[in-house]
Amino acid sequence: MFVTKAMTRKVLTVTPDDSLLDARELMKTHKVHHVPVVEKGKKLVGIISDRDIRSAMPSTLYYESGSEREREKLERFRVKDVMTANVITLSLRDTLQDALLLLLKYDFGALPVVDNEGILVGILAVRDLLRALVTLLGIGQPGSLLCLLVEDHLGETKKIVDLIFEEKVPIGSVLAVRHWEPGKRAVFPYLMSMNIGPLKKRFQEQGYKILDPVEWYLGDVGREKQEKK
Amino acid sequence: MRRTGFLYDERYLLHRTGGGHPESPERLKAIYEGIVSGGLLEKVRLIRAHRPDLTWVETVHPRAYMERLEKACMNDENEFDGPDNQMSRATFQVALLAVGGILETLDLLMSGEIDNAFCAVRPPGHHAEPSYAMGFCFFNNIAIAARYLQKRWGVQRVGIVDIDVHHGNGTQLIFEADRTVFYYSIHEHPTFAFPGTGREFELGRDKGLGYSKNSVVVPGQGDEIYRFLLERDLVPAFEMFRPEAILVSTGFDAHADDDMADLKVTTEGYAWIMRRIKALADQFCAGRLVSVLEGGYCLERLPELGRDHMAVLLED
Repeated sequence: MFVTKAMTRKVLTVTPDDSLLDARELMKTHKVHHVPVVEKGKKLVGIISDRDIRSAMPSTLYYESGSEREREKLERFRVKDVMTANVITLSLRDTLQDALLLLLKYDFGALPVVDNEGILVGILAVRDLLRALVTLLGIGQPGSLLCLLVEDHLGETKKIVDLIFEEKVPIGSVLAVRHWEPGKRAVFPYLMSMNIGPLKKRFQEQGYKILDPVEWYLGDVGREKQEKK
Repeated sequence: MRRTGFLYDERYLLHRTGGGHPESPERLKAIYEGIVSGGLLEKVRLIRAHRPDLTWVETVHPRAYMERLEKACMNDENEFDGPDNQMSRATFQVALLAVGGILETLDLLMSGEIDNAFCAVRPPGHHAEPSYAMGFCFFNNIAIAARYLQKRWGVQRVGIVDIDVHHGNGTQLIFEADRTVFYYSIHEHPTFAFPGTGREFELGRDKGLGYSKNSVVVPGQGDEIYRFLLERDLVPAFEMFRPEAILVSTGFDAHADDDMADLKVTTEGYAWIMRRIKALADQFCAGRLVSVLEGGYCLERLPELGRDHMAVLLED
């Protein structure tokens, strides 16, 4: 769960003395929006985004994109004139949860990862986080999703997992969401099998409420249609 | 009345999946009974299966995979690549016979002896990847069939229509970079149903980009949405692609009474779907169509579904 697992290690960087033109060309060529700014030995001193560069242009409307005047301007200014110096960073001890909370708190698209000496070791963009979440949720792995609603009590998730184990169905992942409804928890086991009919029957026999995706959809869509009226 | 072939071999019943597994020999018997009691058996040309040349299987599955499967069967193993794929000693041979029977059917089709056909085979195929068994499937029957049409009979463009309620991940994967085989599937929403693939934005890749299409059906929907989606998605796709032959991966598990999924297609709905696909075959490839059984697990409904399916193929 550490950010090192999901981060991009081959990070493109610029130095404080590089021109804005160089920085912009780098972003365009490699299709990135954030470039860490480093000094000798990859010591992180700042970060620059394509938004920073655009904001720095006296008038983006006045100069056509790619025009000679624009290039002149970009060439004259240095990265250090425009970059953000106090960078919010992730450390090697930080986890994906930390990254999620940080990215929510600040309106950033990427967070550089540094070691104890402040040396850049990677970058975690929102995209990297999405990729990690896809892996964690097991999306794209063949399986069947079950949706169960239970009382929000200690041990409820365990009982569900035990039942799955008894039926010998392999588990891909289990997502347990508290307060799905007042006093209720929603548990979403993702099962690595096509044949979950018998398991569903057992849950029903044991009195579990299986969230019927049919009702769910008709409920949500029905409600939306009502609201639109 | 068309000259319709019916592939059915009692040896397909020898692939045993243990008690309680939905992919049972009883399914095939139920379909057969339905066709017999519907008085259709004498109207079709019965086809029996023979072992195929393994090089045809190799057009999709590496030799190493075939050998791995054979070895597992000879060692009396009960499952292969996961507990979904239950098997018995005979499974390897039966899986080969499924392929062999389908290839024979294609020979009859292409040599003009039959106009169309239904291949009632086990085990099913559309989840199987080149080197991995999945979802009760061992060899991807329909993929091998498509390659056979191309290499043996020189067919250039093969259209595959997959109406099983589960997305045919194996078939899509095999042809995703290929523009000579169009893969179309209509199935239950991947978030709620196995195998979790087949989203609307999956359109193929590289040379095959634009030659895969997926129609997604939300749990609880049925006939009406199928009519809508087939017109909206399949028809324009085939108008663009102009298949020279159509293969149908036929699963009856979208039926309202089938526990394997949450869709509500009716028996009449299934007949409508097959008629629509047949009309496309008439429009683009002189009616050349072969339907291959995939899933469908409700033993009470399979007789009527099998019978109606055959009746539609026989219609003029």
